[in-house]
Amino acid sequence: MTPIVSDNPQKHMGMPLPTPKVAMWLFLVTEIMFFTALIGTYIVLRHGTPAQSPHKWPTPHQVHLIEWIGALNTFVLICSSFTVVLAHHAAVKADMKKATLYVALTLGLGAVFLGVKAYEYNSKFQHDILPGHIGESLPYPDKALPSPDKEKNLLAIEREKHEHATGMQYFHRVQLQLEAIKNSSIDAELQKECNALLDEMTSAAAAEGQPAAFHRPPSPAEVGQRVNEILEKAEKKGVALYLTPAIPFGNLWASCYFALTGFHALHVFGGIVVFAIILLMAMIGRFGPQHATMLEIVGLYWHFVDIVWIFLFPLLYLV
Amino acid sequence: MTETGHATTHDAAHDLRVKAYFTVFIALSIFTAVSFIANEAVRQGWINLYTSVTIILAVAVVKAVLVGLIFMHLNFDWGRVYFIIVPIFILGVMMMMVLMPDIIIAWQPSQYPLEPPVSTTGTR
Repeated sequence: MTPIVSDNPQKHMGMPLPTPKVAMWLFLVTEIMFFTALIGTYIVLRHGTPAQSPHKWPTPHQVHLIEWIGALNTFVLICSSFTVVLAHHAAVKADMKKATLYVALTLGLGAVFLGVKAYEYNSKFQHDILPGHIGESLPYPDKALPSPDKEKNLLAIEREKHEHATGMQYFHRVQLQLEAIKNSSIDAELQKECNALLDEMTSAAAAEGQPAAFHRPPSPAEVGQRVNEILEKAEKKGVALYLTPAIPFGNLWASCYFALTGFHALHVFGGIVVFAIILLMAMIGRFGPQHATMLEIVGLYWHFVDIVWIFLFPLLYLV
Repeated sequence: MTETGHATTHDAAHDLRVKAYFTVFIALSIFTAVSFIANEAVRQGWINLYTSVTIILAVAVVKAVLVGLIFMHLNFDWGRVYFIIVPIFILGVMMMMVLMPDIIIAWQPSQYPLEPPVSTTGTR
């Protein structure tokens, strides 16, 4: 009988790759563009902040980022990338039991990554390091120490006046938080300092029955400085104090941080959903060697998510 | 080549791949540690900031290349997909170049501090 299949397949148009793989690469290039826009905007904004001013881009310590936690999450994603290639390799060898095990491991590692991220987000919420919440201004050293250059002092005062307008929102936020602390029971020394600041902010410093002397309430910059000092003492004592810190460029940092890590975490979650579907298929016995290409394509997506984190980790936690 | 011989060669190729994956995994773990140590070295004053930033970013690029080449099989597929990937990188660089004049070059409040307001009511 004449064989139907020719040994010399006809030339055809298209790429010498499986169609799903081409589709995944096309999807990934749109993703590259998306994250390039986010990371590029972050780099541009960060380098747009004044390099010579005493108030610079926040350091990881100021915004409660812990480097080793970021490094741990990097390692977790690297491990998951390794397990996903092993899953694909096992599927190619038709060892579906091993492939399923590696998929389950990858899913578990992805969940660990999200768990660590949730812990970090919780810390940001506890310290109120959220976009639009943070006090941006602090007193400028060049104003505190009178400079022989009068024009320089004048400029510093004008700059603080300008920041005062945007700082009043922070002022009222801290006032409400201090009132809440006044009615709570915390460390006596810290409470005394908080109450003293609240009194100054509400101009209630004059003793009862005495005529109220003129009292200038502190500027948002001065409030920010006092709050930071109180928070530092609280940190040393190990007391959790709900007071919003003042960090120059803090809101911009928080917006960038949540946008970058939030979109990345959404991608990780997307990958976890796909791995869960694969595990479900394995449980009902519909996961076989024919799914090796599918596993390779899911792996491509997962490795891309890993590559994005490879750049986010140094940019946010280290550099 | 006999069928058994073909199978043996095939298995050997697979084993080589697993070895490559494992080597890359170890390399990625070591590189992560290198970035972390480079960051700590600045704090301890062993190296300056610029050296540390250069090391950390170079390590990130090497890690991304390793993942792309070995884990994403670009060492096999590059010739088939490069024309999709290369234009995106060119566009990405162009996008940053377009953003730069608006922000990095234009916005430097410390170098160009706010001018005192000009009085419109005259002096008293």
